[in-house]
Amino acid sequence: MSGSPPTSTAADATATLSTVTAPTAVRGSSVDTHCPYCALQCAMTLTPATDVAAPPVTVAGRPFPTSRGGLCQKGWTSAEVLRAPDRLTSPLLRGADGKQHPVTWDQALDHVADRVRALQDAHGRDAVAVFGGGGLTNEKAYLLGKFARVVLRTPFIDYNGRFCMASAAAGANRALGVDRGLPFPLSDVGGAQAVLLLGSNLAETMPPATAHLAAARAAGGLVVVDPRHTATAALTDGGQGVHLQPVPGTDLVVLLALLHVLWAEGLVDAGYLEQRVTGADEVRRNVALWWPERAEQVCGVPAVDLRRTARLLAAAAPVHGGRGLVVLTGRGVEQSTQGTATVTAAINLALALGLPGRPSSGYGAVTGQGNGQGGREHGQKADQLPGYRRIDDPAARAHVAAVWGVDPDELPGPGVPAVELLRRCGRPGGPRALLVHGSNLLVSAPDADRVRERLQALDLLVVCDVVPSETALLADVVLPVTQWAEEEGTTTSLEGRVLRRRRALEAPDGVRSELEVLHQLAARLGVPDGFPTDPAQVFDELARASAGGVADYSGLSHARLDADADALHWPCPAGPQGTPAHPGTPRLFSDGFPTADGRARMVAVDHHGPADDLRADAPVYLVTGRVLQHYQSGAQTHRVPALEAAQPEPYVELHPLLAHRIGVDDGDLVEVSSARGTALLTAHVTPRTRPEVVFVPFHWSGQGSANRLTVDATDPVSGMPEFKVCAVDVRPAPVRDGVAPVGAVPAGAR
Amino acid sequence: MRVVVVGYGMVGSRLVEELVARCPDADVTVLGAEPHQPYNRVLLGELVAGRVDEDSLALPAADGRVAVRRGVAAVAIDRAARTVTCDDGAVVPYDALVLATGARARVPELPGLHPSPLGVHPLRTLADARSVADAVTTSVRAVVLGGGVLGLEVACALTERGMDAAVVHAGPHLMDRQLDAAASEALEHGLRRLGIAVRTGRPPAAVLARGGRVSGLRFPDGDELPTDLLVLATGTVPEVGLAAAAGLAVGRGIVVDGDGATSDPHVYAVGDCAQPAEGSSGLVAQGWEQARRLAEVLARGAAAVPRPRTVDAGAATDVVRLKAHGLEVVTMGLTGAATTAGKHRSVRLSDPSTGRHVEVVVAGGAVVGATCVGAGPVAADLTAAYTRRTPVPADPAHLLLRPVRGAGPEPEPSVTLMPDRATVCRCNGVTKGELVRAWGDGARTPADVARATRATTGCGGCTDAVCGLLDWLAGGEGDRVPAGVGALAEAAG
Repeated sequence: MSGSPPTSTAADATATLSTVTAPTAVRGSSVDTHCPYCALQCAMTLTPATDVAAPPVTVAGRPFPTSRGGLCQKGWTSAEVLRAPDRLTSPLLRGADGKQHPVTWDQALDHVADRVRALQDAHGRDAVAVFGGGGLTNEKAYLLGKFARVVLRTPFIDYNGRFCMASAAAGANRALGVDRGLPFPLSDVGGAQAVLLLGSNLAETMPPATAHLAAARAAGGLVVVDPRHTATAALTDGGQGVHLQPVPGTDLVVLLALLHVLWAEGLVDAGYLEQRVTGADEVRRNVALWWPERAEQVCGVPAVDLRRTARLLAAAAPVHGGRGLVVLTGRGVEQSTQGTATVTAAINLALALGLPGRPSSGYGAVTGQGNGQGGREHGQKADQLPGYRRIDDPAARAHVAAVWGVDPDELPGPGVPAVELLRRCGRPGGPRALLVHGSNLLVSAPDADRVRERLQALDLLVVCDVVPSETALLADVVLPVTQWAEEEGTTTSLEGRVLRRRRALEAPDGVRSELEVLHQLAARLGVPDGFPTDPAQVFDELARASAGGVADYSGLSHARLDADADALHWPCPAGPQGTPAHPGTPRLFSDGFPTADGRARMVAVDHHGPADDLRADAPVYLVTGRVLQHYQSGAQTHRVPALEAAQPEPYVELHPLLAHRIGVDDGDLVEVSSARGTALLTAHVTPRTRPEVVFVPFHWSGQGSANRLTVDATDPVSGMPEFKVCAVDVRPAPVRDGVAPVGAVPAGAR
Repeated sequence: MRVVVVGYGMVGSRLVEELVARCPDADVTVLGAEPHQPYNRVLLGELVAGRVDEDSLALPAADGRVAVRRGVAAVAIDRAARTVTCDDGAVVPYDALVLATGARARVPELPGLHPSPLGVHPLRTLADARSVADAVTTSVRAVVLGGGVLGLEVACALTERGMDAAVVHAGPHLMDRQLDAAASEALEHGLRRLGIAVRTGRPPAAVLARGGRVSGLRFPDGDELPTDLLVLATGTVPEVGLAAAAGLAVGRGIVVDGDGATSDPHVYAVGDCAQPAEGSSGLVAQGWEQARRLAEVLARGAAAVPRPRTVDAGAATDVVRLKAHGLEVVTMGLTGAATTAGKHRSVRLSDPSTGRHVEVVVAGGAVVGATCVGAGPVAADLTAAYTRRTPVPADPAHLLLRPVRGAGPEPEPSVTLMPDRATVCRCNGVTKGELVRAWGDGARTPADVARATRATTGCGGCTDAVCGLLDWLAGGEGDRVPAGVGALAEAAG
């Protein structure tokens, strides 16, 4: 779910909607819940508003171990989305005139079911595919995976988490035996003497989390690796740490050189490697080839800085008497064709210093989307079944099939990752229909112009969304669904803590929950049972399906989570009756790793560089990312006036030397073009980036869309696309009839 | 396809790795004369300096599908029969033979060096490095003969180990292959700061010995330089004996074409033993690039894939980077005398008395050469610009310096001095002006301000700034602030 607010192209579709009735609160008193945006899931309390001119609920921060009562501007203003002027309140069906028209729920659901049945009869079960999202609650994500496997019986399901977390997941699973973003509570970061932050701009993406960096900064131990001097990198200024500014696409080289120095200077934790790790010798030989002077030539970070940083990190490790070192990766290093390799190198570094399982130490990935963690555990990934089980594992299939009451042999096998799934859409042998939940592909997927072509080539595109996102506007059928404060459920935060999302107000008339959509569609497609609409009931089934899996929720229920204010971290298995409830698992790895031999596995990796590297007609690197005021493709945040006022238009950040060379001043309109597309953006001239690097935030569609430029090359292990680096040319925008092009921001949203 | 590789050093091992990655079915045999695993020769200087141990030099082990015969030397090639004869009597047939025999240290024709007395060591092999490192414990003074990259690295390494080191260089100035006189002067200043004596421009006349041990160098004018250790860093000689005996075309090295093929199309040569048209730099990057290309050629041959029409330009492999603590020298592309040929634009910053010299050569809008002595992070920036061929700034002089701290990203100014439009609370986008207006509307404590503007309610990082502002306003400045109509409404937005 995301996208810009209604543009003029959206007007045709939305003009027919009746005006939104004022939302009404369900309870007289306050409701404790969590923010609708990122994976930090800041705790908030919603109170029904008394002022009719104000949003329907008032937001207040609530003390919690992660957010400590803080909220960023997105959280504070989140209630505005509840009264979005263009809220979808009726199903829409594209008519013979090519326009979307309101229809009844029965008409819409009948149409979807009929078309799905017809397409599957004609082309086979694989002709229908499902695309999920990391913003869906655990309950929705679970039921969506079940719907694909049990009702549609298609292998083709994947989700937008493939764009965010797939490389971190693949790297952690392979090395540590489990992928839980942070295998320790976020508050443990606050105890560390040093924090190595690779490709994560926390100060923009989850501001309240930066409070946990205070101790490391006070010790001069915050190390930020980023091609830009971001707000997060600025936290290292004044002796509070080190900012390493590599050339985009070479973060892996930085890590290989750091590891080289650790081994060369005898700083590794030899005892830990001996007792708890396999593969160290091969990795050591591998990094022998990355001495700092060689690394400098590839990554642009001076060798002296690499050495100094390696020593700083080592000094913080418990083996050298330090107070702890936490290594964190973010999308900046993961959204790369060598993302899994980079995560692997980060884990290798953590293992070399003996961090995982030690106090205030370890490796973690900073999960992005609101339920980016839970979203990757319950079966909406192409290769996965609930409980973080593998779909090609016979025991996993048998267990889940038993919970679902089906024959294991009837379950489809693994599908394909998101980018490949989209590439196949509407092509011979590929999916003819796509059901989209909680995702705005047209803005968030790489090489957006090609994505549009693929979606338009489908026979049936069905989109469930809250507002008319760009993808919804392209759909044959749009189903309006509940959002955040209108529904019950759970999310799992970046630290594997299971949180309750609670309903604070009634959904507008005409809106249904996605659980109900799946129930209705399943019934129409011949599966009347097994798709409950009560989130607590869905959770109970999810818990059973997860029992014995890596992400075991079987000891949890909505009732138990309601009783425990601080919530619980998985794994939290159910015990035999009469025994005390499992307390959850805030910290993993203290006794061993959930691998076959109980040891962590180091894997040698090497650097190959970006898929779309610089060349004469594209001599500048493009880096994409987020700004504080917007979230993903902006379906929610573009509808919040205060956020739009603060970040009104798409822009490109470029270095003064680059701006001077091409003759561009701050505020000028700039044309950025890649081999795939062109974007028009306002120039923000700043020395915070490297001279050969430009930055474009990806929250906009249309002319200012960053993903019209990005490349759809993917990581060979995780299938994650290389959003974070490609080659572009930058030049002043051509003047057309004296009229400057504008961004995709409608007047109505200001 | 049967491929035999003679030589298992840095380039030979890389070729095997690249080949197996492209051609998993290739039948590869490696003959390595040295008994140990391949090691990272580039780091021998670090070993001498005591900064790394031998285990850190071990290179990745070969894939299990490769037959590695360590301690086995090739003694003859029968090109007609396409076989290699080994010193253990084995005869190995090949479809393609790759010579990666490397180079040996050149020992200059100096009286007193033939034979060498004790205490004289070249620095080429792991055994050499061990000998030099051992000598450190028994010697006080060291002389390094040869003021090229290796010589300077060794001199710095020995100094780091506490020795009294001097560099003797026969050429006109240090690193004369890469540097001009001005750059070299800056380098000499850098060396002297480290306590390393430098003698350039005159070759020694003889090596002196006493009791079978080296005792010093004598110069033509009779001047003597005493020493306990003499390290020879006077260049290398390609190992071409096997190739020459087999009748292959040999110059200084084994003559090869752009694909690495010798005068026999079934025999190839890579690395320091090869002599390509562009010359051999002795840098491992060049050898690795040759290995990569040859692996592609062999893989294409095996798959009978036609050769692509455009030749892969490959990465720049001529970046020279001194590895010595306290001494920074990086050169690339056109340097030294080559830059003054007049065809290119050359911009330089020469500051020899501080050990700094930076020169950048520009042609066609790109950096085509650079010389960095004592240039700090500028060297890394120029390397990135050179290897990636990124466009140069409108004025290339900008490439010579990094902005000093404060001239780049602004440090946070004091909140009392910042303009009203400046953002104080990033998390909530609250400007100083909005905070001042909140004060005007009666907000007196951080909690009041938080309620009115939400400042401090994100990460909390601006709390000190907000408190400072409130103190400043309470000091009387606030009186001039007009009542902030709308500030609350704006902030509550």
